[in-house]
Amino acid sequence: MTAILSETSVSASPGNARVVFNCLKRDKLAFAAAIFLLILTIATLAGPPLIGDTAAKLGLRQRNLPPFSFDHGWLFFLGADTLGRPILARLIVGAQNTLGIALAAVVFSMLTGGVLGLIAGYSERWYSQVIQRVADIIMSFPSLLLALIVLYTLGPSISNLIIVLALTRIPIYLRTTRAEVLELRERMFVSAAKSMGAKPLRIVVRHIAPMVLPTLLTIAAIDFATVILAESSLSFLGLGIQPPEFTWGAMVANGRGYLANAWWISFWPGLAILLTTLSLNLLSSWARTMADPQQRWRLQSLRKASR
Amino acid sequence: MLSFIGRRASHSIISVMGLLALVFFLTRLTGDPSSLFLPLDSTAEARAAFAKLHGFDQPVYWQFLQYLRDLLSLDFGESVRQNRSAMAVALEAFPQTLKLAVVAMLLSTALALVVGSLAASRPGSLFDRVVTLVSLSGASAPDFWVAIVGILIFAVSFELLPTSGTGSYLHWILPIFVLMLRPFGLLVQVVRGAMLGALASPYIKTARAKGLRRQQIIFGHALRNSLLPVITVAGDLTSGLINGAVIVETVFGWPGIGKLMIDAIIQRDFAVVQSTILVTATAIFILNICIDLLYAVLDPRIRY
Amino acid sequence: MKTRHSIAVIAMALMASTSGIAHGQEASKEIKIVLPEQPANLEPCGTIITNVGQILSQNVTEALTVIDAKTGLPQPKLATEWARIDDMTWRIKLRPGVKFQDGTGMDAKAVAFSIKRMTGGALTCNNMAKFGDRTLEATPVDDLTLDIKSDRPEPILPTLLSVVMVISPNTPADKPVNDPVGTGPFKLTSFDTQTVTMNRFDGYWGEKPEIEKATYVWRSESSIRAAMVETGEADLTPSIAIQDATNPETDFSYLNSETTAMRVDMSKPPLNDLRIRKALNLAIDWEGLKALFGPDVKRASQMVVPGINGHDDSLQPWEYDPAKAVELVAEAKAAGVPVDTEIVLIGRNGIYPNGGEAMEAMAAMWQTAGLNVKLTMLDVADWIRYLQKPYPEERGATLLQMMHDNNKGDSAFTIPIFYRSTGQYSTVSDPAFDAEIDTALAASGEERTKDFKAIFTKARTDVVSDIPMFHMIGYTRVGKRLDWKPDITTNSEIPLAHIHMRD
Repeated sequence: MTAILSETSVSASPGNARVVFNCLKRDKLAFAAAIFLLILTIATLAGPPLIGDTAAKLGLRQRNLPPFSFDHGWLFFLGADTLGRPILARLIVGAQNTLGIALAAVVFSMLTGGVLGLIAGYSERWYSQVIQRVADIIMSFPSLLLALIVLYTLGPSISNLIIVLALTRIPIYLRTTRAEVLELRERMFVSAAKSMGAKPLRIVVRHIAPMVLPTLLTIAAIDFATVILAESSLSFLGLGIQPPEFTWGAMVANGRGYLANAWWISFWPGLAILLTTLSLNLLSSWARTMADPQQRWRLQSLRKASR
Repeated sequence: MLSFIGRRASHSIISVMGLLALVFFLTRLTGDPSSLFLPLDSTAEARAAFAKLHGFDQPVYWQFLQYLRDLLSLDFGESVRQNRSAMAVALEAFPQTLKLAVVAMLLSTALALVVGSLAASRPGSLFDRVVTLVSLSGASAPDFWVAIVGILIFAVSFELLPTSGTGSYLHWILPIFVLMLRPFGLLVQVVRGAMLGALASPYIKTARAKGLRRQQIIFGHALRNSLLPVITVAGDLTSGLINGAVIVETVFGWPGIGKLMIDAIIQRDFAVVQSTILVTATAIFILNICIDLLYAVLDPRIRY
Repeated sequence: MKTRHSIAVIAMALMASTSGIAHGQEASKEIKIVLPEQPANLEPCGTIITNVGQILSQNVTEALTVIDAKTGLPQPKLATEWARIDDMTWRIKLRPGVKFQDGTGMDAKAVAFSIKRMTGGALTCNNMAKFGDRTLEATPVDDLTLDIKSDRPEPILPTLLSVVMVISPNTPADKPVNDPVGTGPFKLTSFDTQTVTMNRFDGYWGEKPEIEKATYVWRSESSIRAAMVETGEADLTPSIAIQDATNPETDFSYLNSETTAMRVDMSKPPLNDLRIRKALNLAIDWEGLKALFGPDVKRASQMVVPGINGHDDSLQPWEYDPAKAVELVAEAKAAGVPVDTEIVLIGRNGIYPNGGEAMEAMAAMWQTAGLNVKLTMLDVADWIRYLQKPYPEERGATLLQMMHDNNKGDSAFTIPIFYRSTGQYSTVSDPAFDAEIDTALAASGEERTKDFKAIFTKARTDVVSDIPMFHMIGYTRVGKRLDWKPDITTNSEIPLAHIHMRD
């Protein structure tokens, strides 16, 4: 996730990181989003070792403990779930699976979709057609249904979950990449490279792929949100991640039956999903503005205006 | 133009056939329907008899050939659970989802165009920020969660709306609202982005210089030019709407095709899975062709 | 201007609609029941499926006998009396003057037709599962008498007959139907993707029910079903989750004939060691676990609920004794039992409310006791492979989450399946135990009861092939208009004739 962030920022401004940071600071929403994601990343990496087993430890006597009390220790500040486990601890531990699955799925689908898109866009051989038809097929396959079928076949393990989530997102990257390649390959620099005798592979890898990457990364940021939500929907249908493993999405799904009398069980993980995906969306839209020379002045003029 | 439609249609037919084959074999991999359809304590003989009755004892490729043969005579198979034609089951449910999807998409596109344009006209203003925050929050919340909270608040606490089901148009409000959240949230961003681009372009500056009114510039000129990306995204969101429909239909007891297809795969009612996919995929392909045609109408530079 | 106008329209519409809801509520004698699941079909041969039975049984279709929930004994319904005329044959006398909803008279021929349709094998019949591999042959003697012959001595045939729905002879014999015609007090009027409706049948042979019309709808979320009854959109929902049963005035609990348990695979080490199996029972904090299922569930010591012939009231369940459990594991370890072997705990998604949480909790408790238990949650289709023979070859030591529902009055629907070496779910293989079971099954009267009790005692104390958990409780929410309380049969039927309106 941090990788995506820094990559987008870099691509937005190849030159000065300081300028980027200043622009980010001027856009308060994007700045808040960046800080939230930073804290989240630190908590995800450093939190679980600190918390240890507490997140999995049963407390049947303190089931559905209400939030906002320090009586049972700070980990219980957000309340306890249906088995009396501290929600705060579970949020921190669950972040690893949630973000890990989403990141793996997004990276996997971006790479696969990107590569296939490059091939489909640059080559005019028969397999270009095949790739496109297969993408059409996956696009017209309702992704929840596809996910259910694959999970029924392979079994609902974490790696299969990643495969399924990635599979349903591949066509997005594929189609975007292909569209960009179709446009790019008519451009001057490609023709120039071609006339200088560069091999197709070299042209694609050295000249075209770097131009497509920023677009893919922006989509990836939004997709990250989509994947977290899709994983949550799978949990709602009973085929998401299986206990004892858990994600935020599974926590929301399992707590939904208690919304009327113990709202906190599904509220906090829901909020965590919302804040994370919101932050990613905000940052990605900020990065788009930064990357667009026509729009960039807005972020810079904001600075002038506020002075 | 006609040749374009013909080419697209032939591509679509190839894709639908591929999809059907894929669905057929994938579903067969998910396990034996007899273990789910028959009660747990039935005998092995009863299971064998069931498999024979529905042809599940045949090799899969043979079942597929028979399925293809039946397709030629427009026989889409029997629903094992519902004792009637699987296609009839799918076609009965489809309009219910279509109604939801059309209303939700039209509303969210229209709203997004207005709200997104207004936000883009004053970038960085309070209104712009609130719009961004609210629309993205809507798109970032798990939909089943919003749906249940919505019912608890509006139907149970305030008793303003019915909890679920169909009937009066009040029954539409919550499902449409939940279904709109994600398309609306994303579309607002797309409209806003496209409008910002359009407003910064030279011809708008010209229009401004000519002294045209703000409203005229935004809704008359810039909007028209930013419609293309909006339509692309709206089209993709419509294809993806079936996922949202699954959740909405499950929570609100709306008898649509999304819930039907999920129930069918959970219960391994293969013929129904195949029929629902056939219906939704066809709808999506038709939608895509329509979108391409719409492009041509909106942008005279595009010729097929 | 325009906005104000539309707000006014919405407000008016809202008022109109709320008054509309109130109106629907007062229209008396009509009730709406909300079920958890859509019935896939309404084939009368599938009434043992909960969502079919809750609609059809006792309302549209009736059987020859009906099981008394308290004694577990068959009572007359369409049959008035029965007698065993030889080892294989029962003679049944039918109730005179009964008509099907299509006007046809109910006679011995119609009953023979119903039995033949069910057992003939021309259509898939779920209810046949209760008969196992028995074959029945019905021969009319006269208009209102028939003989039913079985292929082996059948001491509890009248009990079995409670799952044979008697339907009109005009029903297709080789095709499943969605519009069953029976002898019940209600006639099915419509079945579509949103509702099932039925109206009172005026030609009913028995007492006229108070309800005139019933509509069935379905919603999968428990909280929404509960909300529908609370807001008056529906009058009754047969099952809500315990956390939704918050209003003592409308929410009633009932013992629902379901018993939850874990099955221990006795063939695999370390589970083939009796000490380990005992330790598994002792290591669970039963009182704490109970919190997941509600204060009203009953701790189980055997696989059938009280009221079933063979249930032993005096049999005590295992207590929570973690120290003893640890001690037994250590003892087994010292004796060379591979206690560190991974034991896979196989749970099933959605098997009963809070079932997943229960598995997480039990796995954690067994780990505390020093056993290497790993939890896997499976979907039904995969789970069944472990439930039924032949078990997967590659399986290791497994504990399987299961739930057994015996609402048919007799332990014969339980014991052979679980404890006989040939039993479909059994991991026991003990010829002496088999012989005991066979003797019990052939016995009748008090002898039968006594034998069943002895078998349950042995299973609990000496064999320990399962870990009985709880006799489960269901919760219903009943709207204030209705006077009705659930009982042990509610999971299989909701007789509208028993529902009265409050005035």
